[in-house]
Amino acid sequence: MTNLMHVDVPTPVRSRYGVAQAVRAECSKLRSLRSTTWTMAAVVAGSLLVTFLATNSIQRHGRGAFRGFDPTNQSLTGLALGSLAIGVLGVLAITGEYGSGTIRSSLAATPRRPLFLAGKAIVVGAISLVVGEVMTFACFFLGQGILSGHAPTATLGQSGVMEALLLSGAYLALLGLFGLGLGLIIRNTAGAMSAFVGLTFLLPVVLQPLNAHGNPARYTPEQILANSVAAVVHQPGQLSPTTGFLWMVFYCILVLVIGTMLLARRDA
Amino acid sequence: MISVKELTKHYGSTTAVNHLSFEVAPGVVTGFLGPNGSGKSTTMRMIMGLDMPASGTALVNGMPYTALPWPLREVGALLDAKAYHPARTAYDHLVFLAKSNDIPRARIDEVLDIVGLTEVAHKRAGKYSLGMGQRLGIATALLGDPGVLLFDEPINGLDPEGIRWVRYLLRDLAAEGRTVFVSSHLINEMSLTAEQLVVIGQGSLIAETSVREFAAQGTLEAVRVVTPMTDCFLAALDDVGAEARLEDDGSIVATGLSAAAIGELAADRILTVHELSPLRGSLEDAFMELTHDAVEFRTGSRS
Repeated sequence: MTNLMHVDVPTPVRSRYGVAQAVRAECSKLRSLRSTTWTMAAVVAGSLLVTFLATNSIQRHGRGAFRGFDPTNQSLTGLALGSLAIGVLGVLAITGEYGSGTIRSSLAATPRRPLFLAGKAIVVGAISLVVGEVMTFACFFLGQGILSGHAPTATLGQSGVMEALLLSGAYLALLGLFGLGLGLIIRNTAGAMSAFVGLTFLLPVVLQPLNAHGNPARYTPEQILANSVAAVVHQPGQLSPTTGFLWMVFYCILVLVIGTMLLARRDA
Repeated sequence: MISVKELTKHYGSTTAVNHLSFEVAPGVVTGFLGPNGSGKSTTMRMIMGLDMPASGTALVNGMPYTALPWPLREVGALLDAKAYHPARTAYDHLVFLAKSNDIPRARIDEVLDIVGLTEVAHKRAGKYSLGMGQRLGIATALLGDPGVLLFDEPINGLDPEGIRWVRYLLRDLAAEGRTVFVSSHLINEMSLTAEQLVVIGQGSLIAETSVREFAAQGTLEAVRVVTPMTDCFLAALDDVGAEARLEDDGSIVATGLSAAAIGELAADRILTVHELSPLRGSLEDAFMELTHDAVEFRTGSRS
């Protein structure tokens, strides 16, 4: 038709863009940023290192002190650091767009905002889930390897172990979505990261004095992971794995719903 | 086709855009003119569905931007500020946009070629100069081969060659039958590029007109006369009822008569003329006058 345009941009088969297009766009966004790779590398390295330290230190306890010892839980200590990195991934997935101005390009391309967010949540959730499961199993096998011969170990066949591992990996995906929701509400990288660290890691410390009064700290994200979801041996006074997991689902829905409402109303 | 009706936007107690209505037709370049801070970028963002209006509507091809089935295939925009991630390459920036609207990959290479970024397409956009960033923005706008294009201050940061290139690009796009809407605070630049004008000041419409009419509106047509016989000439002009004033440099500026009529008058009275030149109303004068009025009007209406 013109001197400027040579390549035909054929009319698509579909009548309009949808979630599939939003998901594909989000995938290439994440893939094309080095920060994604670095964050994921940090998850892997950090979690394994912490698990190594946590299981290695058990050796020095010697025999005898293993009543109630939960080798699965011990080997998943590293997930605390991994969950931080996954939260950061979720936060950056949206605040990186606001910080750079990419959000205007994104919303010009995908102006139906709930759909834009759905694409983001699907991609962040899926990547966090894969990384989370891989990390959980890697930590488990590393931890059991180090524990073996010095302390009781767990195997995948033992009752509750497989469930705890699968649930922990899925829990990490929830933390990624939680980070996304906080990033969506706060829009600023530093602010959203502070909120994530504050709510997951610092809040339980602040709530510690209330341990005798219903122990509210057990409802905080990091405590749910450490004491409920990643535990095979149920610890008294803590939430059950399922209850803990559902609380985290609730937190995710809460921040994502608030975030979606704000996204729909705010100027980009 | 862009159609804006009664569009209004507040930021706190400030009214950024005030009951603004205008239409932008296809086939010509329409300039969106106003001083800095007059609401041009805000209006463009509302057309793009990025900012929410307090009231009023902005329609593109008859529907709100957010309802477009394939937005990038219908509307392309170069937005005011940087709208790309500094750590992402130009190519990757275009890849995710192409995927979001099912645009074939071959088109990415083509728009990179059109804007001249092929060589640096795989460099991180954060390392780009202001001008290269503008070119990436223009590539983004052209990606979906859209029929409606919005450019917010496209020549910012471009060198003279780049400015010329943008001028031709805009005219070519309009000549292909596209709707081209370009904002600028530089009236002279607009006079070189645009045919139609939407002029705003303080968020309100000042004029919706053609560049030619807008210029004529600025000052009355006047004729400059340089003559050694100043007094006789002034008397002759007075005789025929023309307004005339003596300038500091000794020339006469006459209004109310055409240059041809003054030449004939000089021949009739046997007066020597060294120079006879019509003075066109300057666009800049018109612009300053009109926006100045808007400012005064707004101040007056508040008190």
